[in-house]
Amino acid sequence: MEVVQIQRRLVDFTKSLFMEVIPSKKNKTGTLRHTNLLTKISVLCLICLVLLLLVVVDREKGLLDSQFLQLQQLQDESNPDFVVEVVSLFFDDSEKLLNELTIALDQPNVDFKKVDGYVHQLKGSSSSIGAQRVKNACVDFRNFCEVQNIEGCRTCLQQVKQECYLVKNKLETLFRLEQQIVASGGSIPMIEMDF
Amino acid sequence: MAPAADEAKSGNGGQIQRPFTFNEIVLRNRLTALVVDGDNFCRLLQQGILQAYGLQTQTVDNGDAAVELIASGAKFDLILIDMLLPILDGLEATRRIRAMGVNCKMLGVTAFSGERERQAFLAAGVDLFVEKPLGPEVLIPILRELDGQYPSI
Repeated sequence: MEVVQIQRRLVDFTKSLFMEVIPSKKNKTGTLRHTNLLTKISVLCLICLVLLLLVVVDREKGLLDSQFLQLQQLQDESNPDFVVEVVSLFFDDSEKLLNELTIALDQPNVDFKKVDGYVHQLKGSSSSIGAQRVKNACVDFRNFCEVQNIEGCRTCLQQVKQECYLVKNKLETLFRLEQQIVASGGSIPMIEMDF
Repeated sequence: MAPAADEAKSGNGGQIQRPFTFNEIVLRNRLTALVVDGDNFCRLLQQGILQAYGLQTQTVDNGDAAVELIASGAKFDLILIDMLLPILDGLEATRRIRAMGVNCKMLGVTAFSGERERQAFLAAGVDLFVEKPLGPEVLIPILRELDGQYPSI
């Protein structure tokens, strides 16, 4: 493939990461259960909270936000692998956090404070790299931790895992395209974005 | 002359740079910074960002280490400190650092976003509460201020 074609493909692909619209999973409320301890009013309030979360949180966001572009701006000749290294470190760390979360939510008595701590950490790191859908999933997750809703937490964990997997795949594709361009003797084109 | 965050530049085939990019700034003074964050990734990323701007940066992963480092005499122009830290949390670490008479710029950089946390961190002694991520729109004016290019606000 010619360099120009790869460059064009890189530009289009990169833009798609910021604009991508992915249909949200529906009917999360259908998976929620209430125990005998909750009154009817409490259940209604919980459902309203979940509905509010689903309506207010815009699921049609891009995988990445401007923070990722800003990190790319810091990459230069003296630090040519900055973004790749940062991304790699993020996914190493997030994998560990997700494993810890899986274990924590599998316990017979879930320690929600511990779970919340892990999610808080992942929220911070994902926002720092610009993985906004991961960050947004963490926000939902923390809300379920606050009300100690185990099923909601488990659903959110799956959502966070999916978002991490998705953004990781997309970034790997991005870096592969960049490598192809450099290997063909071309330069990485500047991406124009409007936020 | 400082490039404004919303100044459009043309070049590179006619493409316009988007606003709020990391502008290049040349620091006239050698600034030093301390990053206090318990999360490995965030700590290294913030260090990388500051180093990219030419700051000599140290890092510690807990509040107690930060307090000990400063108590030992280390001086910094800028401290970035997280709220949730192991051993000694960011609020108490900030109080102790300020109690030592340290007046440098301190930014509370945290994943917390609530007003309660913001008030608590400001009350503890940080100059600015920043919800992660730390972006150029916050960092660049502070670096310029520290470098003496602009008067303090």
